[in-house]
Amino acid sequence: MEEFLERLVGHVHWLVFLLLELFCGVLLFRFNHYQHSVWFTQANIVAGKVLEWEEDVVAYLHLGELNAELTGRNIALQQENEALRQALRQMPQGESAVVGLSLTDSLRSIPARVVANSVRRDENFLTINRGARDGVRPEMGVLSGLGVVGIVCKVSPHYAQVMSVLNRQSSISCRLRGTEYFGYLKWNGGSPLAAFIDDIPRHARFHVGDTVETSGFSSVFPPGIFVGRVSKIRNSADGLAFQLEVKLSTDLSNVRDVCVVVRREHEELDSMIVK
Amino acid sequence: MLVGQIIRLLQMLALAALQILVLNHIHLFGLATPMVSVAFLLYFPFDASRTGTLLWAFALGLIVDTFSNTPGMTAAAMTFTAFLQPLLLDMMAPRDAADNMQPTYTTMGTWAHFRYIVFLVLVEHAVFFLLESFSFWHPLELLLSYVCSAALSILLIATLETLRGKTS
Repeated sequence: MEEFLERLVGHVHWLVFLLLELFCGVLLFRFNHYQHSVWFTQANIVAGKVLEWEEDVVAYLHLGELNAELTGRNIALQQENEALRQALRQMPQGESAVVGLSLTDSLRSIPARVVANSVRRDENFLTINRGARDGVRPEMGVLSGLGVVGIVCKVSPHYAQVMSVLNRQSSISCRLRGTEYFGYLKWNGGSPLAAFIDDIPRHARFHVGDTVETSGFSSVFPPGIFVGRVSKIRNSADGLAFQLEVKLSTDLSNVRDVCVVVRREHEELDSMIVK
Repeated sequence: MLVGQIIRLLQMLALAALQILVLNHIHLFGLATPMVSVAFLLYFPFDASRTGTLLWAFALGLIVDTFSNTPGMTAAAMTFTAFLQPLLLDMMAPRDAADNMQPTYTTMGTWAHFRYIVFLVLVEHAVFFLLESFSFWHPLELLLSYVCSAALSILLIATLETLRGKTS
């Protein structure tokens, strides 16, 4: 008996080894399914804080680029503003106010900063510094100044994990601007600037350079948010439809300031759950 | 004893910080990311407790995982490598080595120590990349990424080790 015990103690590291590996296995395989677990992800409070400090330091190094980007965006917006003002002048009175009202009424956004990001894996996530306390909920859309970034998937009190567009599981309903042709935006690894849309019908008429925007079919994104431009047109795998390669408007490897879109539907849903 | 544990803790935090704050941002040619957490196992002497080694390695792996959104991958790889570490060290160390030998390049000999690093890195990276590839199987890309990352890690760890050999 004593000898047996001694042997057991001598081999206890086998047991420890198996238990630890088992634990890793649980983490690994339940990660994607267990939506409410933010433990052992970047969205837990400690990891979030450390990464936020790091981001604070690194952000200074990129201020130059950011400035250039903002200036460019500013000019584009000014031009758009001018064009809209022209259009407004030509519009009969009364109609315009309604359009403005309906937009601001259904849409609210929470500004946030990206504290951690990845673009090189097959399943990429971002971490942002706003969480449940700030009103962020799973399934909310995240935008940058230039376009779509991703969808919130896990939320802790102060941080949230966002499934980037650059994720094999991501699928965002999009359409070609000015038409009603729609499809799901997917990403299949490789370049962080190129995604694709399948199943655009053969009879659709469009060109390289056409704008791709969100369709608004789901409650995640409002319709008309810029996604990118068509960069290549290919046949789909079964040859029955077109597959479009889309050059994304947001450079996800370099995104810092984003906002989370809160739609009326979310808030209504929230209040229903509370009741 | 306690001092030893504190030093171990500091080593662990230093490696974790190096990995999280610096190396996670490196992605050479879209292929290679150096992973140095396995260097932790080089600091364990011949007579270290096997259970202790496993737990330390697991802890470091879990920290790195938590900060890089790779749930359980580094931890699993580190634990596995820690399990094999005494075996590898036994194979590589000189025959007349003392029981409490600290494996550095001065005590083991440069060549033997380098081989030890190579074996540890290859094992750890192999487990890590296999687990990562579960989500997506693309053998050629995987192999290339494995070889490049491992080469980079070996280079980096060997450089770190030359510093350590000198000071101790």
